[in-house]
Amino acid sequence: MLRAAIHAQRWWLLASVLLLAASAAVPFVLMPFEVRVGQLILLSTGLALAWTLLGGFAGYWSFGHTAFIGLGAFAAGLLETGILRGTGWWGFLAGLSFGCAVCALVALAVAWPILRLRGIYFAIAMLGVAQVLAELNNNVDALGGSVGVVMPRLATFGLRPEGLFYYLLLAATAVTMLIAFCVRHGRIGQGLAALREDEDTARMLGVPTERYKIVMFVASAALTAVFGIIYAHSLGYITASSVYRIDFSLNMIVYNLLGGIGTLAGPVIGSAIMVVLTQVVLGRFLSVHMFFTGLLLVALVLLAPKGILGLRWRGGRGAR
Amino acid sequence: MLAIQTIADGLVLGGLYALAAVGFSLIFGVMGVVNLSHGALVMVGAYLAWSFWQAAGIDPLLAIPLVMVVLFGFGYVYQRGLIQLAVDRSSLMSSMLVTFGVALMLRNVLVLVFSPDLHSITPSYSGAPIVLGGVVFDPLRVAALTASLVLLGALAFVLRATRVGRIIRATAQQELAARLCGVNARHVYGLTFGVSAAFAGASGAILGIVIPFAPPSEALWTLNAFVVVTLGGVGSPSGALLGGLLLGVISTATSQVIGPSFPNAMMFAILVLMLMLRPAGLLGNAFARSR
Repeated sequence: MLRAAIHAQRWWLLASVLLLAASAAVPFVLMPFEVRVGQLILLSTGLALAWTLLGGFAGYWSFGHTAFIGLGAFAAGLLETGILRGTGWWGFLAGLSFGCAVCALVALAVAWPILRLRGIYFAIAMLGVAQVLAELNNNVDALGGSVGVVMPRLATFGLRPEGLFYYLLLAATAVTMLIAFCVRHGRIGQGLAALREDEDTARMLGVPTERYKIVMFVASAALTAVFGIIYAHSLGYITASSVYRIDFSLNMIVYNLLGGIGTLAGPVIGSAIMVVLTQVVLGRFLSVHMFFTGLLLVALVLLAPKGILGLRWRGGRGAR
Repeated sequence: MLAIQTIADGLVLGGLYALAAVGFSLIFGVMGVVNLSHGALVMVGAYLAWSFWQAAGIDPLLAIPLVMVVLFGFGYVYQRGLIQLAVDRSSLMSSMLVTFGVALMLRNVLVLVFSPDLHSITPSYSGAPIVLGGVVFDPLRVAALTASLVLLGALAFVLRATRVGRIIRATAQQELAARLCGVNARHVYGLTFGVSAAFAGASGAILGIVIPFAPPSEALWTLNAFVVVTLGGVGSPSGALLGGLLLGVISTATSQVIGPSFPNAMMFAILVLMLMLRPAGLLGNAFARSR
């Protein structure tokens, strides 16, 4: 199944490889500010792709994915700074694995009860989970959420710091994209699509819906944590309010919606457009920034309800 | 005595929570739309009442009808012009994003017009506290609670006993059947949204005399409405009242027993638990909408 998909999608794959190669050249060509914008696009793309594993493919819209950004960042930070006392790249790898493992375990623990809720109730429950974790992290002193955690510095191999994090994010995004491709075009992707369209029918036809949902939820949480941990290192110092942010959760949805939900190219297109618009174009008008972000959201839902990809393939393949 | 005082404080606060959430609950019950701009409408109400008080010295409780009229108009136009379009063209899920966009816009406008600072309204009757059997009541809070209960009662009466109320309930139960009976469903949705916005505005006017407010508080009031609705059940004033009172008691009791920084964590933990154990809320789903 996967082999046929690779053959059918070969032009897209070629385009992706070219895009990846072009992206790798960015830190050598562009100015530091532009590299930072690129960093943000990669972060947003990766988060949106991680979200879409569950939200786009299975139709379970999480409104609280920032829980895993925050949890992953704090787990990694506390391990690296508090216990290992910062041992450079080995510490980073240890923190990365630990943060991912913690998020995967927490996701596994909440998956069974929470994934029984559907639609809006799942969305609200995830919002609640994110709020509980954020409040606990902020108010339990041992977790250092209100005081903050200083993330250890990493050796930069002669790169500028923004270049380093750019490459880290690029690698993570590429891996996430690969995983998302395999999921979408593999057997599990077919099962998820059936589940999204009609869960009861899919289950009746023998799709192991419960297992698929839980696997995707855990994978989505762990991948979100990867980006959370890299983001935390790029910030250098984190508090609960800087990593548990409700706008992260909402942006993951917005990028997907803008690009085209349930597709692979959608999150890439959506986050690139949204980041350029909000950071570069609106960056100069800070006092009305929120107003125009809101206006953009409203216009987006009304004018392109199936995202930009949906505009091209009206009623055809791709989106939905 | 401390326990009784805590419960009394919680109940007084809970009345306000209930009023602030009842509109949210109504829209959710009737249309299935989750209105993330509900808290922003509460804030608009609070700032309107503040403006009337500053400009003309009108008491915020007397300004409630004015605020309600303004917000009713806004709500009606908002639903017919924006929400209905989003529901038609896309899905209920993405109409939620439209309301989030509107919340951002309203918050930004409030910041630009009124500054991001905290505001509060202090009417003339903010006098000495009343002591009843050892329990202390702040007259302002008692006035706020009374006003909230009166408004909730009025809404319950309208929904239960009047023609408009019957039409709203019928449309909520089954849109198609209501339309076959000659109901203009879109007009009813507009009306419902208007009523919801009006009650949000009224609660804003009342909360101004009890709690200081600023534009970013809108997010908190939306989340409160969520919790109240999941606790009490969707679509009915009685559910909102029960949920609001419970939320008030829970948050005062948590800050008393566990610590002043934990009410929010407790609130959301209960929200998640409720969703898992009894998603229809304690009083069940008033309009029996499928989910």
